Amino acid sequence: MIRPIASLGRGTLEGLSALGRAAMFLAQSAVGIPSREGWHLWLRQMHFIGVMSLAIVLVSGLFIGMVLGLQGYTILVGFGAEDALGQMVALSLLRELAPVVAALLFAGRAGSALTAEIGLMKATEQLTSMEMIGIDPLRRIVAPRLWAGFISMPLLTVGFSVVGIWGGYLVGVQWLGVFDGSYWSNMQSSVAFVDDILNGMLKSVVFGLVVTWIAVFQGYDLIPTSEGISRATTRTVVYSSLAVLGLDFVLTALMFGELG
Amino acid sequence: MFDNYRDVDERYVTDTTLVDVEGLHFSRGENDIFRGVDLRIPKGKITAVMGPSGTGKTTLLKLIGGQLVPDSGRVCIDGEDVHGLSRRALFRMRRRMGMLFQSGALFSDLSVFENVAFPLRVHTDLPEAMVRDIVLMKLQAVGLRGARNLSPAELSGGMARRVALARAVALDPELVLYDEPFVGQDPISMGVLVQLIKTVNQALGLTAVIVSHDIKETLSIADYVYIIADGQVMAHGTPQTLDVNRDARVKQFVHGEPDGPVPFHYPAPDFYRDILATKGERP
Repeated sequence: MIRPIASLGRGTLEGLSALGRAAMFLAQSAVGIPSREGWHLWLRQMHFIGVMSLAIVLVSGLFIGMVLGLQGYTILVGFGAEDALGQMVALSLLRELAPVVAALLFAGRAGSALTAEIGLMKATEQLTSMEMIGIDPLRRIVAPRLWAGFISMPLLTVGFSVVGIWGGYLVGVQWLGVFDGSYWSNMQSSVAFVDDILNGMLKSVVFGLVVTWIAVFQGYDLIPTSEGISRATTRTVVYSSLAVLGLDFVLTALMFGELG
Repeated sequence: MFDNYRDVDERYVTDTTLVDVEGLHFSRGENDIFRGVDLRIPKGKITAVMGPSGTGKTTLLKLIGGQLVPDSGRVCIDGEDVHGLSRRALFRMRRRMGMLFQSGALFSDLSVFENVAFPLRVHTDLPEAMVRDIVLMKLQAVGLRGARNLSPAELSGGMARRVALARAVALDPELVLYDEPFVGQDPISMGVLVQLIKTVNQALGLTAVIVSHDIKETLSIADYVYIIADGQVMAHGTPQTLDVNRDARVKQFVHGEPDGPVPFHYPAPDFYRDILATKGERP
């Protein structure tokens, strides 16, 4: 009887302690805003985290846009409302799919790589040796990655949305014969800059911060063994995905729901 | 246990102390690593810390470097309590230290040259030509000037440690902590390294702390030796005094004797009973 309670208590305490460590870690790392001297570190991470994720994000955006075009058309045509396809594709992407799917892909591509990279640096004592040289790894290693992820995510989301809308156009207009003018004009009249575009961007900023934070913290806090790295990489993808989906609901409720 | 560290050889204590370790207690979980360790490391000397495997010698270096925090006790470097410093002040203090890691711990994304140049680039504003000269001098000293363009992945374990040594002394620090510097070295490199540590210490007046198992090599260059066992200082003295020390444990360790009071086996139940234990009784 006592054992489950004790293990629940231990689990809760460990969870709270990890949360505290993660919060302190974020506070200490986030102050390492890219300086003039460190801009090349930040730029390199922007390339690794942002540019290298571009291909998977754009290709996925294209396919999701195409699927939206196809599915949307088959549903809307039943009501004779296929002219609203552009509106449906754009709103689905800008409000939900682009920020969420781009963040999930980002967690799988860049997040896991960040965890494994930092974890391996920890396991091979590179972080410790940096500390002993008098360099704070939170500023030199973690901060550029954190900021690069934070900035890359909204940019990737923009790319995802643009390519997705084009994918919907490709299928809906070019293939299935929806009128070109109604695809774009319906989209233009129904998409609001603040409500749809900015809110979607705000989501991607939050997701970018959370996913990168989880990834770098898991790498920094892992047990420095091969098993530890493997577990931490898995945790990054699982926690990031759950955090993105959970936060998406909260943010959607605040932005578009009754709570807003 | 052994006398207090303040009873060290008189010729030794007249030197100015750079690192003062006082009443150090440290544990990992329920495992007590140190139970009141006292050490005094004088400026400009080579001090060796030795002891059987698992006695926490590397842990001691990490405590001196401020990477680990003791349960109680103090580590003072040049009068400043290492564990009482702010994070920023601790990093500033570490610029005056160099540490050679057991694994080398080279930055895997940088070449050999860039690894050695790293501390110079981040802590000084030296022109590129001077950085190059210093790096080549340091690499020449460890015999790896020709390997400057290799990546750490292309080096053997011994070579990686020599590059790490060049990096550790790149800024000519006041204090260099060597963690097992002789492991994995071939006889030629071993001889060169022993001489190098001695020469660097004498020429630049650096203070060195060497943690090592290699008794012969370490005793040949150390000015003073601390032997740690069971979480405490078991013995200390100059290499000459330790060589003639009559304490059975010191004798066994210094002369590498297999039989003696220091057990070879990690604590375990009786071997015979362990082998014959039925499934339910197995630990």
